[in-house]
Amino acid sequence: MNRRTLLSLLGASPALLAGLPAETKPAPSQAKTTKASTLPTKVEGLNPKGTPPPIQLIPMARRLDNLNGKTVWLVDTGFEGGGMLLEQIRLWFNQNMPTVNAVFRRKAGPYMEDDPALWKEIKEKGDAAIMAVGH
Amino acid sequence: MPTTPIVTRAFRELAVLNVAKRGMPHLRITFTPHPVAAKTPEQLHAYVEGNDPVSGKPMMKEIVDALTTPLSADEMKTGLVEVSVGPEKYGPDTARNLQQFYHDNGMTDFLPIVIPTEEEVDEMLKGTSHHPDEVVGKMAGGAYPPWSYTVKQVAINAVMAGCKPEYFPTILAIASSGTPSLMSSTNSFAYAAVINGPIRDKLNMNYGIGALGPFAQPNAAIGRAWTLVSRNLANGGIPGDTYMGSQGNNLNYNNLIMAENEAASPWVPLHVQKGFRAEENVVSLFRGLGIVPGQGARGTSTDTPKYEEQFSDLFSVFTGFFGGLVVADPLIAANLKGRGYDTKDKLIDWLYKNTTQTVKDYKSRDFAYGFDYPRALKGLEPYKTWYAMPDDAVIPRWPHRDDINVVVLGGQTNAFFQGGSLSYTVSVSIDKWT
Repeated sequence: MNRRTLLSLLGASPALLAGLPAETKPAPSQAKTTKASTLPTKVEGLNPKGTPPPIQLIPMARRLDNLNGKTVWLVDTGFEGGGMLLEQIRLWFNQNMPTVNAVFRRKAGPYMEDDPALWKEIKEKGDAAIMAVGH
Repeated sequence: MPTTPIVTRAFRELAVLNVAKRGMPHLRITFTPHPVAAKTPEQLHAYVEGNDPVSGKPMMKEIVDALTTPLSADEMKTGLVEVSVGPEKYGPDTARNLQQFYHDNGMTDFLPIVIPTEEEVDEMLKGTSHHPDEVVGKMAGGAYPPWSYTVKQVAINAVMAGCKPEYFPTILAIASSGTPSLMSSTNSFAYAAVINGPIRDKLNMNYGIGALGPFAQPNAAIGRAWTLVSRNLANGGIPGDTYMGSQGNNLNYNNLIMAENEAASPWVPLHVQKGFRAEENVVSLFRGLGIVPGQGARGTSTDTPKYEEQFSDLFSVFTGFFGGLVVADPLIAANLKGRGYDTKDKLIDWLYKNTTQTVKDYKSRDFAYGFDYPRALKGLEPYKTWYAMPDDAVIPRWPHRDDINVVVLGGQTNAFFQGGSLSYTVSVSIDKWT
């Protein structure tokens, strides 16, 4: 085992034990030339980002004049608490806007999956939809 | 159909950014206080009767207005919007300043990078025969439109991670899978890549002592490149936008890179199980929650250990939503083979049959509620049957036997193992990208 390895195992810096300072400064006679030759080089770095798709703007669906007598679907996406929140919304409509027909549905499948059958049903039978909860 | 979504306040930025990415930047979103989960009906009633915490307006008025107020001109716009990611190059500037620039603009993992100069990237491109402009794939770290990327764009990230050109085909293979190692979920997911084939030795990968630790450049740099690829090429890992992991996962720094110790294993390697020939170079990816050392599992103090029981004990505390990955030292594999588990399949069969839970315990887990119960409602098995069973019925920990995988690695200094709550996703040929 050489001396450097032994000293490292002891937790001691070989440089310190040898009497050298932790940062060795250049000898004075080299100072001027060292300073001139260590001007930092400038470089260019490439952009690492990928290519995003263009965004197709989608116009929003036309709004209703009011909700009186309309059927509003309350769609539970499946996050915890969403169903209970929508139940409170349904109760609110019953008490405050009793002409609104609030219909509750839990979307089939996990939250991130489409439910084409439900969307079809809502389009055929509903006038508007409220979805909850996005987490 | 006029529709309005409700989102909790904690996800306001995520919601606003996501609807913009999907083409409806002016979607009328109503916000509630956070959280909605684990609240009583009375507490949720107060939410409904109270104000939207973002707009300050009464929540129900916000909802009714969202469905009835006439659309603005902006809300009716159509057309295509191009998205810019900035200039092709940064600088010229000192390496120190550029390093900080990359950090400050979220393009690193905040560890020092190799500045991706044109010269460095050209050198990296020598590691593959594929054209720099060839599209490798596309990736999204969440439910937003994926970004695409070329061979050269992957090379830039491989340089930043400190890779050598000979590592590049492996990184291209991972990138081609479209699997990010940074996912937007509030869970803080972990990712693993198992590498099989002669390339392990060609690159001097470590599959002996300290195989999962920081003891070999290819193991470290390949995993790190996967994270930078996920960050930059897929726009992943932006806290509050494309990353919502509540606590984060330290494994994301360079992921779990596992070079299987094929020579010391008595079983067929993972890639052969997945249908590849032994001489092919393959990377197999896993996604889950993390990995746990097996020391301390029941039975570890016995003179005649039954390792399969120790695996099962460790896995009994994992959610069955993700698969089980046994990472066994060759000493354990030799012991198991000697006791009759002469194939990985026999071990997997035993684990699937003997790692169980009650229906009551199963239903109490949030992954079951959020993912499996909706599947049960759709009639998918085994979820439909499980949810129909009584609470005291005993069912497997995992829905499918194929949810369990076994990898052998380690330096045989002791018969230890680790258990990953990790699901196999895909195996990709590295050879294709040489």
